[in-house]
Amino acid sequence: MHEVWLETMMAGFMSSGEKKEQLFDFAAIFFRHFTWLENELIEIGETYDYDRDMMSIQVEKLSDLLHRIIKKLGALDLQLAGSPDRELAHRISSDIRYITSVMMKMKDERVEAFSRALKYPGVVLSEEATKAFTRFLFEESYKEYELILIYNYLKAHSDDAYLNRIFQILIDESQFHFKSFGNMMAKMGILSVPRIVMRELYQVEDVVQFLKDGIEEELAAKEECRALSEAVGKDSAELAAFFDFINMQEDYHITLMKDALAHYTKKETDV
Amino acid sequence: MGERMDANAQLIEHMMNPQNYGSIENADAQGIGKNPENGEKVLIHLKVKEEAGKPVIEDIKFQAIGCSTTVVAGSIITTEAKGVDFDRAEDIVAFTLGMLDRVPPEEAACSEMVAVALKAAMDVYIQRQIDPDYPVISYKIKNSCEIPEETGDKQ
Repeated sequence: MHEVWLETMMAGFMSSGEKKEQLFDFAAIFFRHFTWLENELIEIGETYDYDRDMMSIQVEKLSDLLHRIIKKLGALDLQLAGSPDRELAHRISSDIRYITSVMMKMKDERVEAFSRALKYPGVVLSEEATKAFTRFLFEESYKEYELILIYNYLKAHSDDAYLNRIFQILIDESQFHFKSFGNMMAKMGILSVPRIVMRELYQVEDVVQFLKDGIEEELAAKEECRALSEAVGKDSAELAAFFDFINMQEDYHITLMKDALAHYTKKETDV
Repeated sequence: MGERMDANAQLIEHMMNPQNYGSIENADAQGIGKNPENGEKVLIHLKVKEEAGKPVIEDIKFQAIGCSTTVVAGSIITTEAKGVDFDRAEDIVAFTLGMLDRVPPEEAACSEMVAVALKAAMDVYIQRQIDPDYPVISYKIKNSCEIPEETGDKQ
């Protein structure tokens, strides 16, 4: 389900038609399936991880990727037959059947997301700004994907409502950033699947240290956004404003992580 | 300009399609290159075969906790190392380490991490011919990811 979620996100990035948002909605449903299935594994005491195969998504037509997703969904549907939680399996199967039927009817599109054009529509960026922008997109799209998995794993293994509220907001924020950067990569013709996240990153052993490092990383990310806004600002006020917005959004993350850190530290002191 | 664009195109290619990223089930050896400053690291997995009495890298994969430059370095160096014998792989390590003072510090640290991880994996393989339980070696890098304010020690 992890791969299906990611591939459907990629299909959304590639699409430029009206089905784009529908694909993102389906991806969001698959992500929720992913967490449902994860919780089931935790409940039955089964060990699991977020490992997946490397995925090649470079297709010429959107239908090529959709057919692959449909095939995977079919295989997942079969696997669900053996799931101990019959109600959950039934709900997911029902979603799969509907989504598959819609995907099968989606109008095909020629995909431009891998053109390597390195040009952002409506904007002429200097060579230097293009380089900075390209590097930022590769770096940060992976980072957001990594954060989604880390917070999701922490949330799955926590029964603390206060912390889970924080983790869920952070997941939602990273989903938004991931979606924004993925769309930009597709427009630049450099869409790619983020690399596989190493287990030791999301199977966090020292949450306090992770949060402390995370706050530092968010501060560094703010600086990255500021520098990028400056680099592209001469050529595009629109892009500069977007990166200023992302920069300010990092303040939410820092506040949330500081709250989580205070909560963890208090819990450890109480014990 | 043409060469610069070609180099840029190659970098984009490695960022979009990093080669040999992942792990090898039942690898013969693994090695780690680590940046002690920021916790970034590269893990190399090797599958090795013996040919004419020499170990040859049959398959190689890498995983990284690091930036996209590390992934590009990993993609390039593992592509070079795949299919070669250990002598040639040692040359690749030496060549990489020898050019570090000619590249920007952040790129030097990333390339060094991959090179020393490859060296560590080969050293583990050699040690495991004597002791099959020999543990994974982790070598620390000497280049700093930070832009230095003054010239520091190298290696």
